[in-house]
Amino acid sequence: MASGTLLLQSVLTGLTNGFVYALIGLGISVVFRGTKIINAMQGEFALVAGLVAYLALRTFEVPLVLSFLLGIVAGGLVGWFMEAFFISPARLRGATDDTFLLVTLGVAFAISAAVLYFFGRDNIPMPGLGGNGSLDIFDAAIRIHSVWLIVISISVVTLLMLFYHRTHLGLSMMAVSIDADGASMTGISVPRMRLLTFLLGGAVGGLAGVLVAPLITVHYEMGLLLTLKGFAAAILGGLLNPSGAVIGGVVLGLIESIAVVTISSGYKDVISMTTLIIIMILMPNGILGRGGRRGG
Amino acid sequence: MLNDEFKGSATRRATLKTIAAVASMGPVSLFAQQEPIKIGSVLSLTGPGAGLGQPERSGILLAEKNINDRGGVGGRPIKILIEDDGSKPDLAKSKAENLIFGEKVLAFIGPSLTASTGAIASITNAEKMAQVTFTGLGPVIEQSYKMLYHVLPPQILNARAMLEYASKSAKAKKVGVLHDTGYGQAVLAGLQTLNASYGIEFVSIERFEVGASDVSAQAAKVRASQPDLIFVIATSPVPFRNARQMKITQQIVSAIGSASYDYVRGMGEFADDIVFPEFMVGENPLPRQVEFVELYRKANNALPKNFEAAGWDAANIVAKAISKAGANASREAIAIAMRDPYEGAMAKYNFAAADMTGIELPSFIFSRLVQGKFTRLTFTAS
Repeated sequence: MASGTLLLQSVLTGLTNGFVYALIGLGISVVFRGTKIINAMQGEFALVAGLVAYLALRTFEVPLVLSFLLGIVAGGLVGWFMEAFFISPARLRGATDDTFLLVTLGVAFAISAAVLYFFGRDNIPMPGLGGNGSLDIFDAAIRIHSVWLIVISISVVTLLMLFYHRTHLGLSMMAVSIDADGASMTGISVPRMRLLTFLLGGAVGGLAGVLVAPLITVHYEMGLLLTLKGFAAAILGGLLNPSGAVIGGVVLGLIESIAVVTISSGYKDVISMTTLIIIMILMPNGILGRGGRRGG
Repeated sequence: MLNDEFKGSATRRATLKTIAAVASMGPVSLFAQQEPIKIGSVLSLTGPGAGLGQPERSGILLAEKNINDRGGVGGRPIKILIEDDGSKPDLAKSKAENLIFGEKVLAFIGPSLTASTGAIASITNAEKMAQVTFTGLGPVIEQSYKMLYHVLPPQILNARAMLEYASKSAKAKKVGVLHDTGYGQAVLAGLQTLNASYGIEFVSIERFEVGASDVSAQAAKVRASQPDLIFVIATSPVPFRNARQMKITQQIVSAIGSASYDYVRGMGEFADDIVFPEFMVGENPLPRQVEFVELYRKANNALPKNFEAAGWDAANIVAKAISKAGANASREAIAIAMRDPYEGAMAKYNFAAADMTGIELPSFIFSRLVQGKFTRLTFTAS
């Protein structure tokens, strides 16, 4: 494999991983944008969705795409459940930002432990869209499923931007995020919007889960690992901006992958994290700057 | 008077009933009433080491049941008290202290991880009691603990077994290595010590963090170095999947730590043409392994692998030593009785050897994954 091909391979790998991070970052951004809560259990939405898709596929033998859809619905329902039974009661009792962070972190650990208890330590493999087929590009390879992941991620972020800017519901959710009291004065149901925000964040996390599962398998610890990368992606892109989270994720994935190929795999995380720190010092509002931080 | 006669008659009847009841209970219940011989064990049943500790426990419990079904040790049942260290050395030490000083166990089995082994060995060494651990010989200080016995080979031996196959069976000259920073790093150190003596050059060595969810970039780099063969050393199925996804078509040789059904399930459709130097192929066991494999299959409806066999062997080794030294012997006498050569289900041990395990290269069995199934190879190391 020539060095040019190896570089191309690293770009393809980086794009795949980057969009994985992006999807988690996207969910974190959606929840933060709507509720100002840093959701530390975003990766657990993915975990639950991956498991539901696996059970639907293996136990009930539903078609792959339908199992993915069921996983996404499950992610959304977990988000709804989270807001209805944990976040909302805590908010009514005057919870602060750090309380919400702790609540979501605690639920994340609880879900991970429950998955360990009921499903064990196994890595659960899932088939991907297009099976195990791959595309060859100048001797570099990318799985067909990875191509689907990238296409779906770009589509989802485009739809989300349209949703937030062109629909009454999306505008209402943004209004609640910016000024809950003001939104309430105009007749917007603040609790309902917050519920929908978590439902949407859960569904985006679920989408991430079903798309990531064929690449990395489903495992009880996958949620926390994904959340950490998703946080980095979301912060890099500007936490309030879903499209920024996608850009942040892709940048992070590419930096990691190119670092492995051009420098050393042993320094992958050191290089990627150092680069992130430099970017955040030079661009404290994220890659998209102050404008991006206001929302994409 | 009448009342006294009635009382006496009632007492006699009660006595006779008791005698009859005891007689009807038979020898098994008398055996069960004996004071059990306590053996302590600390394993990693949760946390990162649970993949080792859980199968080790299965093997230990099966051995305990089997020993007791056969009359125990010296007519007394054995009781193996198992505690979970959560894969943490500090917790391992405190759990061991409770077993050694509180429960006054006669010998010790475990733990599952190297760091915990050292933590507990400092106590067992001071107490002059045997500790049969599920790690290979670790830090240099372990060699000063003369009653610390290992039922798994040192990493240098694992490395030698991999190189034996690579050079003598696969005839590889150029090898690429994909390894994690934990277990893989430890085996790699052995590989780098020995590879030149086998005429093998490492054309690429790529590493990744333990628990990494994707190592495709590293796999692509290994592929680019065009090796004859790939060593993948990790405690996760992820690198095996990624290697095949990156179109690495060369044969993969791994180490014993990856030879588990859990990992094979995680590899999914990519579990093919991967060779393991290991000790237990339940699908086709060696004659000395047949009894254990059959008992395990009946008890668990599954086939055992290496760590289940290690658990079985550890419990049997301790029981045999207690039997030889006597149930009332001192802890030290029991530890000394363990130094005789022992042929277990997993391997042949000689704890009097310099590496405190005595496992030799010919004990390794080589298996190859063929479409997700372990098949025993005819190749043997010499």
